[in-house]
Amino acid sequence: MSRGVKDNLIAYSFIAPNFIGFALFTLVPMIFAFILAFVKWDGANPMKFIGLDNFTRLIKDSTFHKALWNTVVYTIGVVPLTMIVALALAILLNQKIMGRNFMRTVFFFPYVASLVAVAAVWNFIFSPTMGPINNILHTITGIPLEDLPRWAADKQWAMFTVVLFTVWKNMGYYMVIYLAGLQGINPELYEAAELDGAGPWRRFRNVTVPQLAPTTFFVLMILVINSFKVYDIFINLFAGADNQLNDSTRVMVYQIYNTAFRSLDYGYASAMAIVLFLLVLGITIVQFRGEKKYGQ
Amino acid sequence: MNLKRFYGMTLATALSVSMLAGCSGNNANNEAAATTAPAAGNAANASAEPSQEPVTLKWALWDWEATAYYKPLIDAYKAAHPNVTIEYVDLGSTDYMTMLSTQLSGGADLDVLTIKDIPGYSNLVKQNHLEPLKSYMSANSIDPSVYGGTVEQIEVNDEVYALPFRSDFWVVYYNKALFDKAGVEYPSNDMTFDQYDELARKMTSGSGSEKVYGAHYHTWRSAVQLFGILDGKNTVVGGNYDFLKPTYERILKEQEDGIVMDYATLKTSSTHYSGVFYNNSVAMMNMGSWFIATQIEKVKSGESQSTEWGIVKYPHPDGVEAGTTLGTITSLAVNQKSKHKEAALDFMNFVTGEEGAKVIASTGTIPAIKNDEVINSITSIDGFPTDENSKAALNTVQTYLEMPMHEKSADIEVILNEAHDNIMTKNATIDEGLKDMNKRVGELLNN
Repeated sequence: MSRGVKDNLIAYSFIAPNFIGFALFTLVPMIFAFILAFVKWDGANPMKFIGLDNFTRLIKDSTFHKALWNTVVYTIGVVPLTMIVALALAILLNQKIMGRNFMRTVFFFPYVASLVAVAAVWNFIFSPTMGPINNILHTITGIPLEDLPRWAADKQWAMFTVVLFTVWKNMGYYMVIYLAGLQGINPELYEAAELDGAGPWRRFRNVTVPQLAPTTFFVLMILVINSFKVYDIFINLFAGADNQLNDSTRVMVYQIYNTAFRSLDYGYASAMAIVLFLLVLGITIVQFRGEKKYGQ
Repeated sequence: MNLKRFYGMTLATALSVSMLAGCSGNNANNEAAATTAPAAGNAANASAEPSQEPVTLKWALWDWEATAYYKPLIDAYKAAHPNVTIEYVDLGSTDYMTMLSTQLSGGADLDVLTIKDIPGYSNLVKQNHLEPLKSYMSANSIDPSVYGGTVEQIEVNDEVYALPFRSDFWVVYYNKALFDKAGVEYPSNDMTFDQYDELARKMTSGSGSEKVYGAHYHTWRSAVQLFGILDGKNTVVGGNYDFLKPTYERILKEQEDGIVMDYATLKTSSTHYSGVFYNNSVAMMNMGSWFIATQIEKVKSGESQSTEWGIVKYPHPDGVEAGTTLGTITSLAVNQKSKHKEAALDFMNFVTGEEGAKVIASTGTIPAIKNDEVINSITSIDGFPTDENSKAALNTVQTYLEMPMHEKSADIEVILNEAHDNIMTKNATIDEGLKDMNKRVGELLNN
């Protein structure tokens, strides 16, 4: 055995345990889902091959369109807002100020707190009749309670509520990533800029932003993928006693789950999952290209 | 030198560990398969006398801890059949039927299956997971008429796949102390919708933390929508829902006038109906008979401060007999792929039969077989309201299933829940909501 082959074997041997797990629990199910998309199957009876029927059904399915639209709206709301808030927090907490570590902990806390618990707290705060938000608004403006937004239970405001919640819950995590990025910037660059007479804004624009580009691309990618795959946040904020989402809050993953496990239509659900997969893949490719072009 | 050996060993260990992990499941299955006799091919030939071989049955259920009758049932059965061991598999109550369907499709070795709701039952029948029971029933002379018409309501193509062991129906719970305080006469066993509405308005008083609501509708569709089917003229799987309009108008008016708590608030705060009854904030509440046992227990434990309470028959439309109400059944079925079909069928026969009914009734739960003995056993439980009206409230004349058997009931359920939610949160007007139901269920039925 030549040296190179041996080195390779050693490397593979270390990868093996992890790869076997990945193959069994991710790769095989993924391939299975691709097959399922072309059949009609209820999970128990024999499969029936139906070609592209599941996909043509998707084109006409207004319920699915709405779920896709809601997911896109949610993503457009969450991604830029989270990035702006996280970067602002990171820059503030990168200064040498009193209680810096304490404040970092405070902003990071929602990310580690249990989703179920904080969702319950939010639902109380935003409760249409009992919640402090509406009662304060009612006291300040004098608008009767029943005319104020009913937040999570309101078609017009539900998406706003969930975007706000998501940004608040996850900003700490992305703040930490940005902090790491900021600390990786060579301080000499700032010194040089200052000598050249650049003010704080110029320094931010011409040093911080370009130096942070790789971090920004990473954050953007993770955020977009996670927003497209959102499920648990919606269930915890909106699903009531019947564990259901309705028209204004239905998202893609929920629709896939419902189609597969409530309507027992595994083939159709797999077709939806593939659409979701292709969307995320497409966005990721675009972002990778962007990173190659601007991120260096 | 040693490096090479170290790598070799690491690799070997890693691989063997993953192999073990991968195989352990199979080994267990092979052993189980090897030690059990081949399953009886046809349940019809199963004798009424099960064998004396030691056998272990797996029973799928939910909320083992919170349910009073599971253990007594198992104990009672074991006393007569010492060779049978019954292990329970608790799949949790949220999405229980989904979990069960997934487990069965994955070939889980469950024998006895608890069936929680009709849409889930309909799905399991479609998936061919359930053992057909008609031949077993005739071989063991099980008469479906003892179940008060519910078995006929779950027939699929002239075959039955489950037998009910619990049969819950909706009643009105009321807080006697609040009525006494207000000097209002208690609800009666014969109220029309209008009388109920009037009484609820009379009983509403106070504000802030002192507020008492006259009635309470929980956030389930069935708590509001199904008043509309009590006249027997319409069903919720018919595809046209215009008949629900008067019901929604009445309930929304009550909500606007502050007679009942606001649906949107209840929903977002995930308020459980039991809490509002325990803390004396509602005078009346329509709810299923499953709450009787819970309320008795919580009065004893001190969790329920509503210690003076009673029940009366469900309110009904004009011209319909009192005692007409909604119901749900909880049933048992046998896994078609069970390796111990005979034993599983025998256990199911016990639980759904008269002996099982006695055990279930002794815990304050309403069994599917409701004879006088069973009713007396429930009303004589320590903590059951002592007034005559509460006892009489357990007699029903007509029970409509909350969700009738229909091959598309699971999908219809989803649409009705959504539209109900939109109407009650005022995201849609009543007309818009009903139009949405008509349109979407119509499309579903025509597909």
